[in-house]
Amino acid sequence: MLEDEQVALFLAARLIARGNKGTLLLTIMILAMVFVNLIFLPSIIAGVVVLFNQQTIDYSFGNLIVEPKEGELRIAAPVQLVQKINGIPGVVASTPRYTTGGTVVYRGESTSPLVTAIDPAREQEVLRIHTKVRSGDYLSPADTGEILIGETLAGTSRSGGDSTPTLGGVAVGRIVDLTLPNGVTRQFRVKGILKAGTSSVDNAVFITRRDAASMLGEADPANAILVRTKTTGNDDAMRLVLMQYGVQEKIWTWEDKSADFLESIVGSFGIINAISTGVSLVIAVVVIFIVIFIGIVYRRKQIGILRAIGIGRSIIIKSYLFQALFICTCGTLAGGALLLAVLQFLAGNPIVFPGGPVAPFLEPRLVVQSVASLYAASLIAGYLPSWLTTREEILDAIRG
Amino acid sequence: MIRGEHLTKVYGVGSVEVRALDGVDIEIAKGEFVGVMGASGSGKSTLLHMLGLLDRPTDGALAIDGVDVTRLSEGERELFRLQRLGYVFQDYALVPELTAQENVYLPSKVRGMTAKECTVACRGILDQVGLKDRAGFLPGELSGGEQQRVAIARALVNRPALLLADEPCANLDSRNSVLILDLIRKLNRELRQTVVMVSHEDWHRRYFDRVLFLRDGRIVEDEYGGDAPGTA
Ligand SMILES: Nc1ncnc2c1ncn2[C@@H]1O[C@H](COP(=O)(O)OP(=O)(O)O)[C@@H](O)[C@H]1O
Ligand SMILES: [Mg+2]
Repeated sequence: MLEDEQVALFLAARLIARGNKGTLLLTIMILAMVFVNLIFLPSIIAGVVVLFNQQTIDYSFGNLIVEPKEGELRIAAPVQLVQKINGIPGVVASTPRYTTGGTVVYRGESTSPLVTAIDPAREQEVLRIHTKVRSGDYLSPADTGEILIGETLAGTSRSGGDSTPTLGGVAVGRIVDLTLPNGVTRQFRVKGILKAGTSSVDNAVFITRRDAASMLGEADPANAILVRTKTTGNDDAMRLVLMQYGVQEKIWTWEDKSADFLESIVGSFGIINAISTGVSLVIAVVVIFIVIFIGIVYRRKQIGILRAIGIGRSIIIKSYLFQALFICTCGTLAGGALLLAVLQFLAGNPIVFPGGPVAPFLEPRLVVQSVASLYAASLIAGYLPSWLTTREEILDAIRG
Repeated sequence: MIRGEHLTKVYGVGSVEVRALDGVDIEIAKGEFVGVMGASGSGKSTLLHMLGLLDRPTDGALAIDGVDVTRLSEGERELFRLQRLGYVFQDYALVPELTAQENVYLPSKVRGMTAKECTVACRGILDQVGLKDRAGFLPGELSGGEQQRVAIARALVNRPALLLADEPCANLDSRNSVLILDLIRKLNRELRQTVVMVSHEDWHRRYFDRVLFLRDGRIVEDEYGGDAPGTA
C-alpha cells in the first residue's frame, strides 16, 4: 500500500518541520562530525601512503629495478642495457647503480652505511635525490674523490648518545675515509649533505661509478638499473614490456621492493582506522536511537491512540524511518560541507610528515562506503526504537 | 448493530483473578446513543475496549455490523477499527505537530481516500464539530474542549458504524463538557451515528437514549428514555 508510505512521509515531514529544532540541529551536527570522522582519517592515511609511495619512487627505486640475472652478481654491459631500456616506449630514463656495503670513517667515528655508486647525470633523470641537497652540491659526472653523505649519517657535533652511529657532524669540505668490502680504502671530500626524509638517502653515502670502478678494479660495475616510467600505477605492465623488449635480467617493481614495509604500516593504520570507524558508527546509531527513542516514549499514549484509530504500527515505524533518513541526509550533507572546509584548510596549512606535506587523498569508494554505512546505521537506529516501543499492546500504551 | 453474548474478561490468573466483565449480554441498535455508567472499577472501560476491538474477551461472542469480530485476525481487526470504528478517549492525544485539519486528515488518508476527498471530508467534519475556522490551528493553540472536538472529528471522519467514547469530558470543565455532550448528541441525531459513551457523571444521564448501569462487571440496570435538554 503506497498510502501507508505517503502517510508515514507526511507524518515524518510535519514532525520534523514543527518539532524541536534544537535537538534536530544537534543530531545533524553529530552525524556531520561522524561523517567527517569516517572519511578524514582514512584520507590522511591514504595521503601518507601516496606520499610514501612517491618517496619510494623518487628517492629509492624509480618505478622498476633491473637486477643481475639468476646466479650473477653484476649486470653485464650496463650502459648498453640502459640505452636499450631508454629506447623502450613508456620509459622516461634509466640509470645504472652499484650498491655495496662499506665503512666510512671520520675523525675516529666509524660507520657502515650502504654505499651507492651512481652516474650523476643519468641519476637525475630517474630519481630526485639531486633536489634534496641540504648543503654543498650534488655530484657531477666528472667528479672523482667526492662523496655525498646523508644527513642522519653525517650526524651532529653533539655526541649522539647511544642511537645509531653517525660521523659526529661531518660537514661539506671535510675528508672522510671510505673502505669497500674488497679492503681498498680511499679518501673522499664531502661534496654535499643530503636530506630526503627517507633512510635510503639520509643514512647512506653516494659516490660516482667512476670512483667505484677504480676502487674495485672493474671497468663498469653495476648491480642494479633503476627505471623511471612515464606513469606510475602500470608498473607490472611495464615490467612485462621490458621483458618483451628482451631484457633478460630480473625485473622488480618498486612495490615488490617496498611491499612488506608499506603493508605493515598501512596494516597498523588500518586497525586504528577500523576502531575509529566502528566507534563513529556506534555513536551515530546511539545518538539517533536516543533521539528517536525519547521522542517515541514521550508520545507513547499519542501513538497508542493513533494505533487504536487504525494508524497501523508499520506506518508509525516507517514515519520514524523517514525521520532517521532525513536526519542522516542532512548530517551527510553538513558533514560533506564540513569535510570540504577542513580539506580547504589543510590545502593552505598542510600537515608535514617526514618527507613532505601530506595531501589528504579522498577515495570515491571510501566516500560511497561511508555514506552507505551512515545510512545503514540510521535505518537501524530509526527502526529499532520504533519497533520496540510499538510492540506493546495498544491498551497498555493508552493507559500509560 | 452490536450483539454481545456472555462477554467475559478475566484479568490475572489463579487466586488473584479479577472478573472485570462477568457475562455481559448486550444488544445495541443502529442510531442508538448508549451511555455506560457505573462506579470506578465497575468494568465500563473494559466493556468499551471489547466493543472497540482493542481487547479480546476471555469468553463470549461478539458481532458488530454483522461481523463476528472474535474470529478476526490481528490485521483484520486493525482494518476493522480503521474502517468501522471511531474512538474518543479522555486524553485527546492529538499529534501536537499537526494542525487540527491534519490530525483529522491522518485516518482518512490511511483509509485510502485521495487527497482531495480527504480535504473535503476533513473540512466537512470540522465544520460539523464547529471548528471550521480553527482548521489551521495547532493543538497547542486550542482549548481543551476544542482539542476534544478535533479528536471527535478525527474519530468520525471515516464515517464509522460505531463511535466509542470513554469519558470524553473527564478533563473538561462543565461548560466545555456540555458543549461536547451537545455535539455528540447532535451528531447522533443528524448522522444517525451509533454512539456508546462511558461516563460516571450522573448529570450526563439525560443525554443518553439508554443507560447501561454496570456493577462488578455485570449489567445491573438497562434503562431507556433520556431526554436531552435543548433538543426537544
Ligand atoms: N490490565 C488489567 N489488569 C488487571 N486488572 C485490570 C486491568 N484493566 C482493568 N482491570 C481491572 O478490571 C476492573 C474494571 O476496570 P475498568 O473497566 O477500567 O473500570 P472502569 O472503567 O469502570 O473504571 C477493575 O477492577 C480493574 O482494576
Ligand atoms: Mg474507565
